[in-house]
Amino acid sequence: MRLTVLVLEDEPAVREALERDLADLADVIRLEAAEDVPDARTVIAELDRDGDLLALVLADHRLPGTSGVDFLVELLADPATAVTRKVLVTGQADQQDTIRAVNEAGLDHYVAKPWQVDELRTVVRDQLTDYVVARGLDPLPHLRVLDTARVLPLLRKLGDR
Amino acid sequence: MVATATRTTLPPRPGTTALQRGGLLVGLVVFVTALLVEVPGLDAPGQRMLAIFLLAIVLWVTEAIPLVATAVGVILLEVLLISDQALVALPGEPLPAADYFAALANPVIVLFLGGFLIADGASKFGLDRNLAAILLRPFAGNARRTVFGLMAITAALSMFVSNTATTATMFAVILPILAVLPPGRARTGLVLAVPIAANVGGIGTPVGSPPNAIALGALQSQGQGVSFLGWMLLAVPLMVVVLGFAWWLLTRRYIPADTPMVLELAADFDRSPAAVIFYVVAGSTVLLWLTEPLHGIASTTVGFLPVVALLATQVMTGDDLKVLQWPVLWLVAGGIALGIGIGATGLDAWLIGLVAWERLPLLLLILVLALVGLGLSTVISNSATANLLVPLAMTLATGLPIDTTAIGVLIALACSLAMALPISTPPNAIAFATGDVDTREMAITGLAIGAVGVLLLVFVLPEVWASLGLLS
Repeated sequence: MRLTVLVLEDEPAVREALERDLADLADVIRLEAAEDVPDARTVIAELDRDGDLLALVLADHRLPGTSGVDFLVELLADPATAVTRKVLVTGQADQQDTIRAVNEAGLDHYVAKPWQVDELRTVVRDQLTDYVVARGLDPLPHLRVLDTARVLPLLRKLGDR
Repeated sequence: MVATATRTTLPPRPGTTALQRGGLLVGLVVFVTALLVEVPGLDAPGQRMLAIFLLAIVLWVTEAIPLVATAVGVILLEVLLISDQALVALPGEPLPAADYFAALANPVIVLFLGGFLIADGASKFGLDRNLAAILLRPFAGNARRTVFGLMAITAALSMFVSNTATTATMFAVILPILAVLPPGRARTGLVLAVPIAANVGGIGTPVGSPPNAIALGALQSQGQGVSFLGWMLLAVPLMVVVLGFAWWLLTRRYIPADTPMVLELAADFDRSPAAVIFYVVAGSTVLLWLTEPLHGIASTTVGFLPVVALLATQVMTGDDLKVLQWPVLWLVAGGIALGIGIGATGLDAWLIGLVAWERLPLLLLILVLALVGLGLSTVISNSATANLLVPLAMTLATGLPIDTTAIGVLIALACSLAMALPISTPPNAIAFATGDVDTREMAITGLAIGAVGVLLLVFVLPEVWASLGLLS
């Protein structure tokens, strides 16, 4: 039951850069990349099959076919992915798109391109922590990619055994 | 729509492992076999209890169902099979069902309830963290001294707060050090220091860790109650020596004295009226626990005082009660009920008759029991190990030239000395999850500490108890 971060980005160079910047996390979480929305849906189906959880989507907005924001709206509507953390990583979303993402997709964070590596990692750490807290998951298997200070109070509840 | 969304935010239910499915199957087979097959020398009540005991062993070892489910299952089966309300009535006068249900409100459970409420309050008002900040100050300046202070404070806290909660609190305290300490052996040593000290500290008082409660409950049901201070006198010497050894091992193995380890913690005590009331109530409770010989009020009664006082003053509320560690309390209750059943059905007498125990060297028997406790609780829950071993060991000890109290306490302490694997205790699991310590290092230190602990426990501690006149 691994946590999964899905990178949705059509430009290969940008996609690879995002994956590279998050490579440190890959031994704890599952890192997946998709080039468009149909591809992303395939990934989600694979996660379901493997019993892994879609914890966070880092989506570009401007994509061939369905847009990133539309995909995020779709995720919120589906009970299985409503709780998935949703982040736009984009430079091209105009104000209308952004407003729609906040109001209709429950956008959790906005990262403007070009991103800073440290900033990106902090956002991912915070969002994964939010996901674990919101779903009431056991934080221990994922502790290394979470914000330890925020998770420690949860660990008190484990109790002695 | 809303309902669906709520449902999916629940944590996903973990799948069952092959071990768990096997455990369930083996448990059922063993249970039914023990009920149906004639056991020589064992009459109907004892045979039914044997079936329950064997089922509990399989379920607690394999965790086929959650530990707490097995615990309440033991109580239910005792009511259905060996009480006065048994489905198939027993001859003679079996214990009333109420006696088995009463395990859930055993005096030891009430004592723990008080301990839990004080521990949760300490966290709610930040008392644990602030105390740690103040007490750590004198140890600043040298890495090894800092680790010494850290371990001493962790152990002291863990005597009154659960080992797991103590570990969480103390990790919060060392996060600033970890943030600047480069990866390497010093990190490993520091990350190991906290869970080890928390595990060891748990043996210090009756409320420090569930195995202590299980032993205490079993002793009380035999009319061999141990006072709060009495337990401390028996256990603290071992705690101090093992802690000292652990510090020596960790610092020599991992932490050079010149490791940069600066800890500047600001203590910021909550001075709200609620917090002040809490400090007074918690302080008075601990003081009353420690002075039982002076006033004679039983530790259980003292433990119930903060429950009443904190609820009456609304310093703690119903919400605080809801989040108490009820599964831990009920797990202990299951062990107590198991001990009561073994005693009430004559299963104890049958177990004694199995082997000519008196022909075995006493020391060997104790050593084997302690090693079984250590080994089993390394891979399964400490409380479940104590639930199974304490009644068994106390049964076997009858008729041997050893004090029942000594054997009960000894087994409980052995169960708490297991810390060689990440699965051994939740504090170990937390340390392992940080990624700063691997299984190998945890096993080396854990085995060394466990071995030293058990050797002291078996060969030295009974002598110390006798020479101090602590046991009759």
